[in-house]
Amino acid sequence: MNRMLALLKALLINSLGISVIRTKARTDKLAYLKLIALGALIIAGLAPTIWLYAKMLIQGYDLLAPIEQQGALLVLGIVLVSTMIFFFGIFYVINYFYFARDAQNVLALPLSGWQVLGARFSLVLVYEYLTQLPFLLPPLIVFGLKSGAPLAYWLYACLGFFLVPLLPLSLATIPTLIIMRFANLGRRKDLFKILGGIIVLILAIGYQLFIQRTGINNMDALLIQNLLTEQNGVIKMISRVFPSAQYLALALISAEKITGLLNMLTFTALSGLALALTWLIGDRLYFKGLVGSSETTARRKVITSSDYSKMSRVAPAWLSYCRKEILLLFRVPTYFMNCVLTNLLVPVFLIIPFLFQPQDEKAIPWAELIAQPGLQTILMAVIVGAVIFLSGSNAVASTSLSREGREFYISKYIPLSYRQQVLAKLLSAYILAISGTILILIGAIIIMPLDLTQIFTIFIVCLTAIAPVTEAGILIDIFRPKLDWDNEQKAVKQNFNVIISILFSILLGGSVIFIVIRWIDSPTMAAAFMITCFSLVALVLYNLLMTKGIEQYRKIEG
Amino acid sequence: MIEIIGVSKSYNRGAVKAVDNVSINIRNGEIFGFLGPNGAGKTTLIKMIAGILNADEGTIKINGMDIKENPLEAKMQFGFVPDDPNIFSRLTGLEYLNFMADVYKVPAATRLGLMQTLLQRFEIAAAAGDLIQSYSHGMKQKIVVIGALLHTPPVWILDEPMTGLDPRSSFDLKKMMREHADAGNTVFFSTHVLDVAEKVCDRLAIINKGRVILSGSMQEIHTQLGAKQSLERLFLEITENE
Ligand SMILES: Nc1ncnc2c1ncn2[C@@H]1O[C@H](COP(=O)(O)OP(=O)(O)O)[C@@H](O)[C@H]1O
Ligand SMILES: [Mg+2]
Repeated sequence: MNRMLALLKALLINSLGISVIRTKARTDKLAYLKLIALGALIIAGLAPTIWLYAKMLIQGYDLLAPIEQQGALLVLGIVLVSTMIFFFGIFYVINYFYFARDAQNVLALPLSGWQVLGARFSLVLVYEYLTQLPFLLPPLIVFGLKSGAPLAYWLYACLGFFLVPLLPLSLATIPTLIIMRFANLGRRKDLFKILGGIIVLILAIGYQLFIQRTGINNMDALLIQNLLTEQNGVIKMISRVFPSAQYLALALISAEKITGLLNMLTFTALSGLALALTWLIGDRLYFKGLVGSSETTARRKVITSSDYSKMSRVAPAWLSYCRKEILLLFRVPTYFMNCVLTNLLVPVFLIIPFLFQPQDEKAIPWAELIAQPGLQTILMAVIVGAVIFLSGSNAVASTSLSREGREFYISKYIPLSYRQQVLAKLLSAYILAISGTILILIGAIIIMPLDLTQIFTIFIVCLTAIAPVTEAGILIDIFRPKLDWDNEQKAVKQNFNVIISILFSILLGGSVIFIVIRWIDSPTMAAAFMITCFSLVALVLYNLLMTKGIEQYRKIEG
Repeated sequence: MIEIIGVSKSYNRGAVKAVDNVSINIRNGEIFGFLGPNGAGKTTLIKMIAGILNADEGTIKINGMDIKENPLEAKMQFGFVPDDPNIFSRLTGLEYLNFMADVYKVPAATRLGLMQTLLQRFEIAAAAGDLIQSYSHGMKQKIVVIGALLHTPPVWILDEPMTGLDPRSSFDLKKMMREHADAGNTVFFSTHVLDVAEKVCDRLAIINKGRVILSGSMQEIHTQLGAKQSLERLFLEITENE
């Protein structure tokens, strides 16, 4: 146990960058202050949203209390957080258990499987606690205060807060452990790791779909009536998504009764069981999946002259540089998962709820909507908004320098001008953004009966819309590149530039779309307006990139 | 030819002075060695020559081209081998070489033959189609060396090139350095091994804590030191006083 804790401590210090912050506090006061200011800014930025959330919860409580369903607030919070943890958990586990560059180093330490797994699991758990804090704390506090809950409630709430992630995280870890154990058998490790990751995600989506079909969508009037008349019926319904959630909710609601205690014990036991199972399975499978996951295919086959000439086609320097960018995006598993796959998966996630809607008369009458110019304009704006958000959040442009890390020195000494390097990076990010755009458009075409002109117009608008977003992403990364990392994770997942880029895309997309929805009725006018706006911003940012951006790029040292 | 005139560089806003007012002139047709203990400032100076770091003060010219004023022309003049071969590990050896050839504008006609010759000479032809990730340290070093030589640069800049190479390749590389210099070109390399410096260089500079303490041909250095003190003794003293 002690050794596991020692490892956990090392992992925590390393991954939260505590030593770096400490050194900065001592040597570079300004950078330290900047860091603190940034943290304060994030909290200040989140505060209004959390306040809104709390207000909604208070209103919801007042609304639900008369029909004795106020417990739904709690279960909603718990289910929401559990689902979130489950999905984030899959990413976290794949990334921290297997893809981290230091993952294999522990193999050389005299530790057993469960110790290492336990430390890594706890590390992910810490991240999950941070993630769930703003979502779970408000409903717990609102319910407790509004209902004048007894002491037992607060005790259960505290305990519950720490227990909540255990079950969903275990549910995310166990299949990952199993799949990665077998994914690593092959010779093309990177490929199998990526495939393994995709399979886990597909299973997760499948599970959600299954729940969606059997659960909420299939309810009819009678069921709803039953739910509302039965006390805490809503709890039972919502918690179908995460069945264990209802035990904690029921424990909290009837905290003062003996049933509350029983439910709490059940929840604790379930969570404990899940944890034990994960560690047991992890002890057997984790190392086997990890061993040799750095071995790569080495055919060591003599290459013939025809191979040479096939593989050595001459290309202009900038094109070769752009090709390198894209090759690495696809070949480094972490980059693939976080940059390319999100690009492909987000559209799929957006489409699924529409595809699996109940096929009855209550379905959305798309044809009628599109027939009205005003609504068609809104639909168009929404699609463009989705494209902007996707290209802002796919982390290709906003990590394009950071991804090079310690290899950045290569970009500094090769005789390719910084201008061309930046343009090549821009091009590679633009190509990926276009692929995401096309997927979203395909999704839109599947859902709504758009005609050819409409599709074409939207496509053109999107092409201009993604330009300023990718340009901004690269500018952001030029001004605060994160080059000193030992783990590819840190370049993309723990890179604040991605968040800045998302904020920019929300600001840009949001303001343009707001104007369109508020004041423009004709689709043609809207398209013309959007194209003009985005082109202008793109032009301004391009100029900025080519002057200030290049100047800054020159200053960065490898 | 490399001209280094009054170059200084410090890290952490002046807290660490890594290179302190260094001036060296490296002529055509010679192998110039840069000898110093770990942390002396060798890598820092070499990175400034290559344009990876910006010098705080001073000028650096490669074959007359200023690395600050004319970066692209200056960069075409040299081939660079870093001390730590951190390179795109998810490319295959061939993909990497091809990337380098494209970047340095090596025509199709010459690149194939040269790649094959060099890959065979360093005995990694069989691994060229595999990901660099699967290479050993020495193999990475070799592929970087080959990548740096594809455009037949007049100036070679090598940071601790022998570290990690097996004796055979190390011998080969030294031989190639000799041939290159004898053909009228320039070779500049750093090392912390006195033996290597003594055997290979035409001239050398000894650097410690960012300053050049001695420079010249082996003979000149021995006369400067006087008959009593050997170079080895001096070098040991420098290292001990760390
Ligand atoms: N990125 C850096 N940040 C701060 N100090 C550095 C950095 N790189 C090198 N140094 C310091 O500069 C000095 C010279 O280092 P270096 O040029 O790498 O020496 P050498 O290559 O001769 O071993 C050392 O004191 C080292 O600690
Ligand atoms: Mg060095």
